[in-house]
Formats: sequence, C-alpha cells, structure tokens
Amino acid sequence: MATSTSVDVVMPQMGVSVSEGTVTKWLKQEGEPIEADEALLEISTDKVDTEVPSPGAGVVAQILVQEGETVDVGTRLAVIAPEGAAAPAAEPPEPSKEAVPEPATAQAAAEASAASDGPQQTPTAETVAEAKPAPTEASRTTDGGGNDDGRSFVSPVVARIASEHGVDPGQVEGTGRGGRVTKQDILGFIESGAERPPVAAQPEEASPEAPQPPSSPTPAEVPSAPPTPAPPRPAEPARAPAAAPAPTAQAGQPDVGESFEPITAMRRGIAEHMRRSLDTSAHVTTVFEVDMTKVVQLRKQLKLAYEQGHGVNLTYLAFIARATVEAIRNWPWMNGEIRGDKIVTKTFTNLGIAVALEGGKGLIVPVVKNAEERNLLGLARAIADVADRARNKKLTPDDVQGGTFTITNPGGWGAIMGTPIISQPQVAILDVEALVKRPVVVADDRGNDSIAIRSMMNLCLSYDHRLVDGAYAAQFMKELRENLESWDESAY
Amino acid sequence: MSEKTYLQAISDGLRQEMRRDERVFVIGEDVGVYGGAFKVTLGFQEEFGPWRVIDSPLSETAIVAGCTGAAIMGMRPVAEMQFADFVSCAWDHLVTVAAKQRYRAGTPVPIVVRLPSGGGFSGGPFHSQNPESSFAHIPGLKCVCPATPADAKGLIISAIEDPNPVLFFEHKHLYRRLKADVPDERYTVPIGKARTHLEGDDISVITWGAMVHTAAEAAKELEDEVSVEIIDLRSVMPWDKAAVLESARKTSKVLVLHEDNRTGGFGAEIAATIAEDAFEDLDAPIRRIAAPDTPVPFSPPLEKAFIPQVSDVVAGLKELAEY
Amino acid sequence: MAVREAEPLSSLREVREAGLDREDLLDVYRNLLITRGIEERGHILYKQGKIPGSFYTGRGNEAAAVGIATAMGPDDVGTPLHRDMGVHVTRGVEPWRIFAQYMGRSDGPSKGKDGNVHMADLKLGLLAMVSHLPAMLPVAVGCALAFRIRNERRVAVAWFGEGAAARGDTHEGMNFAGVRRLPVVFVCDNNQWAYSTPTHLGYSVEHLADRAAAYGFEGVVVDGTDVLAVYREAKRAIEKAREGGGPTLIESQTLRMEGHAVHDDAFYVPKELFEEWARRDPIERFRSWLRENAEMGDEEEDEISGSVKRLLGESIRRAEESPLPDPSELTEGVYATPEDLDTPHHK
Repeated sequence: MATSTSVDVVMPQMGVSVSEGTVTKWLKQEGEPIEADEALLEISTDKVDTEVPSPGAGVVAQILVQEGETVDVGTRLAVIAPEGAAAPAAEPPEPSKEAVPEPATAQAAAEASAASDGPQQTPTAETVAEAKPAPTEASRTTDGGGNDDGRSFVSPVVARIASEHGVDPGQVEGTGRGGRVTKQDILGFIESGAERPPVAAQPEEASPEAPQPPSSPTPAEVPSAPPTPAPPRPAEPARAPAAAPAPTAQAGQPDVGESFEPITAMRRGIAEHMRRSLDTSAHVTTVFEVDMTKVVQLRKQLKLAYEQGHGVNLTYLAFIARATVEAIRNWPWMNGEIRGDKIVTKTFTNLGIAVALEGGKGLIVPVVKNAEERNLLGLARAIADVADRARNKKLTPDDVQGGTFTITNPGGWGAIMGTPIISQPQVAILDVEALVKRPVVVADDRGNDSIAIRSMMNLCLSYDHRLVDGAYAAQFMKELRENLESWDESAY
Repeated sequence: MSEKTYLQAISDGLRQEMRRDERVFVIGEDVGVYGGAFKVTLGFQEEFGPWRVIDSPLSETAIVAGCTGAAIMGMRPVAEMQFADFVSCAWDHLVTVAAKQRYRAGTPVPIVVRLPSGGGFSGGPFHSQNPESSFAHIPGLKCVCPATPADAKGLIISAIEDPNPVLFFEHKHLYRRLKADVPDERYTVPIGKARTHLEGDDISVITWGAMVHTAAEAAKELEDEVSVEIIDLRSVMPWDKAAVLESARKTSKVLVLHEDNRTGGFGAEIAATIAEDAFEDLDAPIRRIAAPDTPVPFSPPLEKAFIPQVSDVVAGLKELAEY
Repeated sequence: MAVREAEPLSSLREVREAGLDREDLLDVYRNLLITRGIEERGHILYKQGKIPGSFYTGRGNEAAAVGIATAMGPDDVGTPLHRDMGVHVTRGVEPWRIFAQYMGRSDGPSKGKDGNVHMADLKLGLLAMVSHLPAMLPVAVGCALAFRIRNERRVAVAWFGEGAAARGDTHEGMNFAGVRRLPVVFVCDNNQWAYSTPTHLGYSVEHLADRAAAYGFEGVVVDGTDVLAVYREAKRAIEKAREGGGPTLIESQTLRMEGHAVHDDAFYVPKELFEEWARRDPIERFRSWLRENAEMGDEEEDEISGSVKRLLGESIRRAEESPLPDPSELTEGVYATPEDLDTPHHK
C-alpha cells in the first residue's frame, strides 16, 4: 500500500514468549526508496531469524535502531515516508517501555492493565479509617481464645451500631465471650430506653454542655452546633469523680393531653453529662464585643479563592478558631485541665467544634487535632470536614476524643449572648454569637470620635474558676479580640 | 403431588422432559439396558429406544464431548457420569471446549452432566467425592446441588432448559433416604436462587446438598438454645449472593458447611464474599465446617471422621452462639 | 487388512465422474490461491507487528483442505484445524474476517476473544478448534451422533494431526464412532512433523490409516498434494457415511512446508525433504494439471490470480478498519442466554 503519511516500522513479536529482538542487517539505507512488503531489514530473536517486510511504500526516511542493537518488541525501528515528503523531525529512539499504538502486543496489554490497576488500589486514609471503627481491637479475634479482656473487644457490627447511635459500648453489659458486648446486647440497650444498666466500673469522661438550642443547618457562613456528648470512648481511666447515676423514675401512663416517647441513649448521655459538668466546674461566663469588620472584608476577599482553588468554604468560624489557637499560646491554662491534684497544661490544642444533629436528635463535638499546627486554610478545611462527617455519621471514635478546648456556635440563629457549659475535662468553652451591624464609636489617629457602622460579634467565654481567675480569662479574651480586630494576613 | 424419593424425583423430571422434547436424550455407561448404576433411568430405554437412551463405551471423553457436539447440532443431551469422581476423565472437555465455546465462538453448549456425588457408605476415594468447587471455578460452567426431592426434579428440568453446560450434582446418600411430596406436573427451580430451609435469628448456616439435612438435625438438637437459620444454596454456580448476605446481616454470625474438602472448597469463596461485603454486620468470625484435606477414606471410623457429622455442626453452632 | 492407497485422477472425464465440472475446478483453483494468499499475507502482517500472539499456517496443506471441503455437502459440518484454512475459505468465510480475526479485531468471528485460526462460523457448518488437540474429534463424533439420532442425511468431518493421534481423544472418539457406525469421516493431516517431533517418534505403525481396522472401519492413504485425489476419496467417504456405511479414516500425506509457527524455522527438518516436497507444491501441481487437462490458458489464469490479489488487498484494508474490542466487552458472553439458542440448529 502506498503511504500518504509516514509509517513506523516496529520490532515484531516472533512468538508468544519473545520480548525482544536484535537488528542484524539493514537491507535499505536512509533515503533509499522501498516497496510495500519488500524486505527492509533482517532481525534475530530467541526463536528465529527472519526478515521484516516494509509496511509501506515510499522512502526510508529514518533509521532509528542500528545493526547489532537489541530492543524490546514494539520499539520503532524506522520510519517510511511517502516519496517527496520531508523527513520527520529527528526524535530520539523511543524508550523500550512505550508500546506501539496499533496491535496490542501481549506486553502492551500487560502494561496498560498495570497502569490502570495502580490508582484504584490506593485506599484513602479516610476509607481505611472508616472501615475500622475500633482499629486495633477488632484485629484481635478469630482464635476465640485470644481475648483476655473480652470487654474491650468490639466486633464490627457492634462498633457500627454504637457509632450510629452515639452509644459507648463500654456502657453496655456484655453477655458474649469474656464479657464482650454482642450485637443483641447493644441493640437491647438502645431499644430498652427507660431502663439503664448499672453504672460501669469506668465512669464517663465525655461531656457536653450548653443549654443551647440545637440549630440545624445554618446560614452558609457559620457551621453551627451546640455542643454534644462524645460517643464511644473505650477504656479511659476515671478522672472526674464519678457522678452517681440519676435514679430513673418510671413514667407510668400518659395523662390526657400528654404523649410519651422514649429517651434515646444519646439524649440520656447529654442529660447526664450536662448535669455532671455543672456539678464539677465553677462556671463563670465573660462576654467580649469584637469588631469583626476587618475579618468580614478579608473573608470576602478570600472566599472565592478558597472555594475555587481549594474547594473549601471559608467561614467566620475558621478565623475565630485560628485567632483562638493563637491566643491560647500565651494563655495556656485556657487549654488546660485539673487532673486529680495536678494542673495539666498541653502543648497541643485539640479544638472541639460542636455540631448539631438534624431533627433535634442531639449534639456531637468532633475534634480537630493539633489545631495549633494549622493555618487559616488548614483550619477551614478541617472544620468543614469534621462538620460534614458529623452530619453524615461518618465520625470515628477517635474523632470525638481528646478535645482540649471547645468552640460552639449558635450565632446563626441570632443569639447575641450565651452561657455555655464546659465540656469536661476541659477548662473553657467559647460561644460565638451572631454577627450584627451596629453603630459604634470609633476614634481616628488624632483621637477624634465619630460614629461608624461596624460588623460586631459577641464572644462569650465560660471558664472554670477553680483553675482560671477572672483576670486571666479577661486577658485571654482581650488578646483574642485583638487578634481578630487587627488580623494580620501574613501571619495566618 | 405424590411422595417420591430424591432419586425418583430426578427420574421423574428426566422422563417428563424426554417425553416433552424429542431433542432430549440420555447417554452414559450402563444407562440403557441396566437402567443406570443407581437405576435412575430404569425403564427409559424400553420407553424411548436405544437411540435416546444410549449405552456408551467406557469413555467419559466420548460421552461428554459427544454431548457437546450433539448439543451444538441442536440436541439437548443429558450425560450420566456413573460416579461424580469419573468426571475427571472428561475434565478437559468440560473445561476446554464446553465451558469456553460460548465466550470465544458465540456457540452455546446446552448440555447437562449428571454426577452422583458424595460419600457416607464406604465408597472410598473414587466413589465419594464432591467436586463442585473445581468446576464452579471455571467461567462458563454452571453447578447445581439439590438437597430435596422437590428441588431435584425442578433443577434437573431447569438444567435441561438452560443454554449452558450444567453440572448436576445429585447426592447418592440422599437417593433413597429422602422421601417427600413432589408435584406431578412440570416445574422449574431457578438456577442461582437459594432457599431458606429453616428460618432463624441467631446464626446463619450456609450449605447445600446432603449437608442441609445434617445442619437441620443439628439445629433441631439446639432448638431451645439457639435460633438457627439454614440457607440451602441449591446452586453453587451461580450462587445466591444476595440471599446469603441478607441472612448474614440478619444474624451477624455465619457458619459455612460443606462436605467437600475444606481448602479451596466453595465455602472459601462464600466466606470471603461475606467478609468483603458484610464486614460491618459481623458479630463473630465466619466459620467453615468441611471435610479435612484428605482423599475420602474407606474404613467406617475414618469416613465418619472425614464427613462432617451432626455432632460437628452442633459443636460449631454452640461455639458461634457463645462467641 | 492392508490400507488402500488412493489413485490420482488424470482426466476431466474421471473428474466429472467424481462429481466436478470445469467451473468447479476453477473454483477449486481460486480457493487454493485465496488460502495461500491469506496465509502468506498473514506472515507479512505478523512480521510487521500487526498480528499479536503466535501465528500458525498450513503451507503445503492447501490441496488437502480445499479438496475435502469441496466434497462436503452444504449441510455437513466439520472441525478443521490450524493447517486447514482451505476449509474455511471453501465453505465461504470472507477473507477480511479472517484477517480481522488474526489481528484480534471486533469483526473477527471470535470478536477478539480467541486468536489465530481458533475461529469458525457455525452457520457455515464449522466448529471452532481449541488448542488441546484433538479435543474436537470426539465433538465431531457427537455431531454425527445427533445426525444419527435424528436420522438426518448429514455427515461430520473430524480433522486431526498425526501428532495428536497419540492422545486418548482420538481413540475414544473413533471407537465410539465405529461402535455406533456414526456418519463421521476422520481426516488425518499427516504432514510428518508435530512441531519438532517426527512421525517415528509419534506412532509405530506404518500408516495411521492402519488404525481404522482397530475400530472396525476402512482406512485409506492419499497424496495430500493432489487436490483431485483428495477430493475423490473424501467424496467417497462422505457419501458412504451419508448412506449409513459408517466412518472412514483418510490419511492425507503432505509435508509441513514451514515451521510449526512463524516463530519456528524448522531447522530440524532435513533440507532435502523441503526441496523434494517443494517440487510437489499442491498449487503448482494443480495449476499444471488445469493447463494440461482443462485447457486453462494465460488469460484465464491471470484473471483468476488478479482477482484473488485484489480481493485480498481489499480484505486487509477492510480488516484494518475493524476496531479493536473495547475492554468493557471483556466479561460479556461467558454464559449463553436462551436467545442464543434461537438458531436453526437449536429449534
């Protein structure tokens, strides 16, 4: 066939197991004319020596592999150009891995499938995390005899049910081998509603606070969430004194005009934790007004870039979180803890972000670990991620443990002040109120006063007066306010 | 409706199909004059003649390949291997020609190969095997293992209807042991659909063939302690993944039971699938009870230790229940 | 009983008695040219890297293949092998589909699911071969069984090589056929080499046709390079089977003129043997016969070879345009559906 375009001559595969061939003799040189199917060169392979006929008619435009060279099957050996056409630009001989498009040699097919296999096999960390709600513990199994401490082993189905209902399996009495909580046990626990199992040997840590109205998905700006109890936290040693379980009176029958519904495990947990927190900490709340005008402007500037460039929704909460984490560095007791007879300060800040669950079902406080290491973008991303996973029930037990400071955010509903309840064993909780435009007195450089319209927001801090005194708290808040009012872009 | 043994049900289904469709014929060793080693085709040659009930030479190749060629020419052959164990002589044909003809040449091969399988009567290594897993592994073949007389009749008819090569594993031990009501009319049992032999809440037993009855006896023994669900797969290839997963999700504890050797037995495929697709629904590891990895022994005490017994299943169920 | 050796045909009159007229002879010649042409061009395409896998041809066997296929009736069936491309060509498989098959394209009879000559069009009465030889021999016997059960006047032709004769399938298939006097004709392509195994290391009787007696039927040896002799023997055997006379074993003797496959240069075959059999090239032999006994002149000859050349050129072009199969088709067609049975055979 006459070629109208250039045609490649490739090393053929002379037999299924042959993977390379050697050029032994070129029967034509560059520039010489050649007919279709005319012998162009001789090759030698493991199995046989043979001639290679030209795939086209024209001129030998380029010889790419020299006599004596051994190349992989599919390698371009030469180019045949139509008579009169310019020779194609000289290219370096193709590396042996490249397969010729046309016939699928066994090698090319194998390479193609290897390439497509790759990406699919990489699990994301998230998938892996989700698949193993109780990671190390779930792997101790099949042998049956291996469980010394049957109580702490949680099977996949029990872990899933626990996570879906916000129940700590440690609270459930186990009838399985070694005292393990079985599927029946946890289902029974959840359904039993009014009945409560006897108090566990390990008292609860998780706590939650504020009598805030649960808010549902909010105005785009601020992911709101009143705080919540933390679900499963297996085997943490007692730190707060164990509260005596409230005796649950039987409700009897509803009177006329009354209707009953069972108290869910999550609701029961919240009730117990709120009560205990108020009984533990000496709650004081202080309120600061913050001029958020600069933050508002900055957010407007950055919002689009964050969305398009990073796929992240930039909220006011991210700014506040960042400013808080900065302020904590200088006021570490805000991030501290009373443990027994010791005051604990921490170099890390695990920021709890309270999220309300739909339908008034309850609250949950996922934690952004090591918030002090994250910049504005990192915090915005992390907050969006935990909030989303909280609403889609994709949190792991690890996500709701180890918080050191909590931020809660009912401001979307319009509240301008609140007195949040601390999440034990933390020492403080910050309530973010509504962003409201107000007329405010501002002074210019020369000290002249005038009235300006500014975007104002109240931040309410509840703190534990056992550890933190008023002055300490106020100075922390002052610094927090300054961070927000004089936001330095470069620092964040 | 009338009471039939498992064997009579197969016979009945086969006879009905041969009367209904003249393309159906039977070929095998001793199936004609003798009526078949187990008498499944007793009386058939008298009724249908020597060219529809063909006594073949002693050659599984001639039988199975002959069926392949005849099926390609439009017949509906039903081959009988005298014992399932002898199918290994025709393995090449099943795997090389019958299994692959549809895929690579567009030619369907509608054959049925009947395989009297299973042990329990000192048949020894060559008369007692359950080779379903090696064929389930070959794309293009179908494998069915009825456990009841009603299913045996329905499945033999479905097998004949199916345009693919179908291996019909009829358990010898059930031939005369099982008697039940079987409909007189023609009916089919869908290939690839399981049947709930017993409903329960605590443990799912996934099984097929003679082991269905072993499981049932074990469940009866424990009926006051454990609520056992028994899923009779009926088809090993294709198998009813959805039904098995549904049961596994319901009970969260699974016992897979089969008479074939343990390693690489079809239970391994079932267990792996449940682990992959229902991991978060499991409250215990998936257990398999199967024969150990040995040829089938001859002497009764050895064979008893080989074939899963009711007591083995009872122990397995108890262990799972207590987990 | 001593095996019968076939006689050559030497005149047009004898040919007519055997059932062919002049037009038929020219068709035979054309089919021979197409067969060789396909395989020669296939070699070139293979060496140009356009055909994946391995590549098997039957140079030297064209006359045997075409001769037998010409003797088959329209409703007869067969299981040809990799040296029998002439059978596909004679029965009417379009050359472009054969090239598409070689190149693994969607329009090949196996749609890329199998390669080389592992293909067949069942509508033309051909069953696709497998690699395990001679597994299709007892399958052809099964086809004959169906004909016998239904009392149809149809015949199955089962090919096998002299090397594959060592396998049990040959014995089991022939034995069954002999016992039941089934309408099947067995054709042994004896090309003297099974890869590098010569005949004396494959079997110990003088002729494989000798074995027919062991199964209760007739055997005949024929010069496989003589298309007319092959045709006449095939016709006899096929008609005998059709009339209920049972099987025949035809041993067709040739030399495999190339290696086992393109990747084999057959260094183990003595050069003299190649030279000797090259002088007996089947196509050249028939061309000479036609010129001598059927008055084929230059013009007619050129017209035939010219049209074959054009046909093959177009066929390659058409085949190259056929798309490669899409990976999404990989898992299709493992199992048959009831609709697949909706063919004339299966009603």
